Amino acid sequence: MTALVLDGISHAYFGRTVLDRITLRILPGELVALVGPSGCGKSTLVHIAGGLIEPQRGRLTQGYRRHGMIFQEPRLLPWATARGNISYPLRVAGVDRTTRHDLTRRAADLVSLDRKDLDKYPVELSGGMRQRVAIARALVVEPDFVFFDEPFTSLDVALKRQMQDLVIEAATQSRFAGLFVTHDLAEAVRISDRIVVMDERVRGISGERIVSLERGARDDAAVFAAVQTYLKEDPLFSHIHDTDERRIA
Amino acid sequence: MTHLLLDRLARLGRFLWSGWVGVAGLALFAALWQQGHEAYGDFILPSPLATIRATGELLSSAETWRLAERTTLRAIQGFLLTAALGGALGLVVGYSAAAMRLARPLLTIVMGVPPIAWIVLAMIWFGSGTGTVLTTTVVASLPLVFANVAESVAARDRSLEDMAKVFGAGPLQRLRTIVIRHVTGQYFSALAVALGSTFKVAVMAELLANIDGIGVALAMSRSNLDVAQSIAWVVIIVTVIFIIEYGAVQPIRAELERWREAARPWGVKR
Ligand SMILES: Nc1ncnc2c1ncn2[C@@H]1O[C@H](COP(=O)(O)OP(=O)(O)O)[C@@H](O)[C@H]1O
Ligand SMILES: [Mg+2]
Repeated sequence: MTALVLDGISHAYFGRTVLDRITLRILPGELVALVGPSGCGKSTLVHIAGGLIEPQRGRLTQGYRRHGMIFQEPRLLPWATARGNISYPLRVAGVDRTTRHDLTRRAADLVSLDRKDLDKYPVELSGGMRQRVAIARALVVEPDFVFFDEPFTSLDVALKRQMQDLVIEAATQSRFAGLFVTHDLAEAVRISDRIVVMDERVRGISGERIVSLERGARDDAAVFAAVQTYLKEDPLFSHIHDTDERRIA
Repeated sequence: MTHLLLDRLARLGRFLWSGWVGVAGLALFAALWQQGHEAYGDFILPSPLATIRATGELLSSAETWRLAERTTLRAIQGFLLTAALGGALGLVVGYSAAAMRLARPLLTIVMGVPPIAWIVLAMIWFGSGTGTVLTTTVVASLPLVFANVAESVAARDRSLEDMAKVFGAGPLQRLRTIVIRHVTGQYFSALAVALGSTFKVAVMAELLANIDGIGVALAMSRSNLDVAQSIAWVVIIVTVIFIIEYGAVQPIRAELERWREAARPWGVKR
């Protein structure tokens, strides 16, 4: 049984191929990090896997029951309170009011949102709070697969760390599988079981590495050492910091 | 529950408080008016006090209330028609880029024709009756509502809809929970403007087509050269618009736009 299978996925925007025959499978409970330079098609791949974009070629098999997604920006409804935003997926699914209330509260607790913040509108919340709300919204449906599309890129270092811990904690508790896009290698090493590298020159995946340490047992020194080894000694990672988007535009 | 109620009360309080500024503005206006009156005399411009007296006199007659009711009912019908048609058409057209491109030149034409021309046409088509008033009011205020809704739908933020789609919302659910909600702010702003123009055009149509209502009363006081009474009618019509706008349109809008209010720096929150 596989949680997610991408089989020969290709996609082009206006005739310019971004993804070319991508194949990727993710096991239940497995967190896969997807790294690569900006503009190489990571978001496109996630949106295809999440069913937002129809791929031009290839087959997508979703072996999980329910998914959640956390986008690069929080994408909160400005007119709804934090509570309303978190419970939005439940409302869409037609869950009754009392169950909605309970699940919303549980998801808010999971991301350590204060009860009193639940009645605030997104404009009244800080950037970190908004991203917490977005995470809670993804987790409220009790998903067994979660897509993360560079969710913490815009946060400062301390906050980013806090959010990563939150994800690690939630993943351990609820045992969901996930695809975590990032261009921060340290983040990938901290969170994931496996790192998949994308490269725009091959318009797809250029290789992958299993993160050897146990998910709970990665301290800063180990993460730092792993990142250094990847960057200095592993040719697979030599292009992940290319950021010249003019070349591909 | 109580804090929601308190929230509404606070909003009402703020509104009433801001009313003082309005009163100050009115006082200034009355002072200038008085100056004008003293310069040009009773015949051209009766004093504010005389106008108030004339308004009081009008209000004590049952006929005034009947005429005001007729005009108000017609205008409200026109307004509701505008609100429903403009909102629905705007939504439909805003969804389609092609329809949007088709609609723009049509809008320019419809908005370019002066309301008075529509009154003449409507009189030919419908005679001197409510039909004429309704047609003119709708034609005069529908384009504004329609254009606002359509533009707002067309310029909407797709990323929220993608979010909804990820969480399993179908097209109708996205329309209901995101697009319509997104559009309401601009819709109600447009409605507030449309409300005033509906009343103005309704009175104008009544006056020109000789249809029983405030318009005809206005024409009568004009032919009697009774300036104080003419202005008194204007006062009455403005009051009706004011009551409807601040009694119905703005409260609904404020309710839907609470989140904007929350962004205000002085909106101290618990
Ligand atoms: N909707 C779109 N229309 C046209 N081109 C797009 C669209 N979305 C992304 N692209 C292009 O596809 C490439 C990959 O984009 P994206 O998947 O967002 O990359 P990443 O998430 O890795 O930064 C980029 O060159 C981008 O300009
Ligand atoms: Mg991206």
